[in-house]
Amino acid sequence: MKDLDTNFQAVLTGIRNAIGVPALLLFSAMTGFGSLAQEQGLSLYISMLSTVLIWGMPGQVVHVELYGLGAPLIAVVLGVAGANARFMPMTISMMPVFAESTHNRKWNYLFSHFISINTWAEMLNRGHEIRAERRVSYFLGFSATCMFAGLVGVYQGYVLFESMPDIVSLCLIFLVPIYFGLIMSNTLHPPYLLSFIFGCLLGAPMHLLTPEWGLVLSGTIAGTMAFIIRNWLKDFMKSKEVNG
Amino acid sequence: MVDYSEWIFFISAIFATYIWRFAGVIISHRIEANHPAFEWFTCLAYGIIASLVARTLIIPSGLMAEIPLWQRLFPMLFAFIGFYMFGKRLLVGIVFGETAFILLLFIG
Repeated sequence: MKDLDTNFQAVLTGIRNAIGVPALLLFSAMTGFGSLAQEQGLSLYISMLSTVLIWGMPGQVVHVELYGLGAPLIAVVLGVAGANARFMPMTISMMPVFAESTHNRKWNYLFSHFISINTWAEMLNRGHEIRAERRVSYFLGFSATCMFAGLVGVYQGYVLFESMPDIVSLCLIFLVPIYFGLIMSNTLHPPYLLSFIFGCLLGAPMHLLTPEWGLVLSGTIAGTMAFIIRNWLKDFMKSKEVNG
Repeated sequence: MVDYSEWIFFISAIFATYIWRFAGVIISHRIEANHPAFEWFTCLAYGIIASLVARTLIIPSGLMAEIPLWQRLFPMLFAFIGFYMFGKRLLVGIVFGETAFILLLFIG
């Protein structure tokens, strides 16, 4: 990535790189959310605020669905927490990207709110191509653009979804697994690839086992298995080198 | 009287999400740079997101649930083929997947 001399340039580059597939993805995904929120009787204000303040689609969906069903508060809290728990490992794994930046670390508590699968993958894959002190600005430009596209999506889903032909809605919904499947599989680092494969295999069965915590459970098993296998293989190779 | 319950549920949902991010920042500030734990947490994130992708594809809700499973899995396979055969370009993968999906909708 070309030299980013000022923070302003970094913000602009972030915005430019988000316009295109990442913004389109947020738009489509949030169109689906908007229509669901409308069906479940959530107000348009809360539906749009939800995208800005929760900013994690699976949790937003759980909130709307359980609220629509009239579930008790504790069920909604646990359901949302289970669906959005991925933000803890994602935040931990992304923070080193900002480590060499000069900003006060307290700001990380605010910045972490803008992390989504999209921005997380972008910073993990391309963060190192950006000068350390410009990464925050790039991240904010990129995230804000995605969030804005998401907001437009919610609005249009809420207002127009019923008048949209089914085939258009279906294509928008189908974009989400394609996009995330492709960007997440596109890693050359063996333990991450293994985590991805195990996660794909465990995801559906674990959801049937426990719908609330299936994601956390299968993700934790998949990631830990991959991590252990990889370290075991590394040690095995080393001992072979020494002995052979 | 105004009904506040919608807002109470909403604000609880906001906290139920933000708490994870907050915990993530605290924990990351306590771990030394280059500690292997960072790699483990990244593995967990990959695992959870992969589970999410598999779940949305295999056990969808709403409109998508009416489409037979093979009509979702086959286009997904096509998207991967398009992506990895033609220089790992996202747009190519998406076009391959969506085209297969639309064709099957018409045939199936």
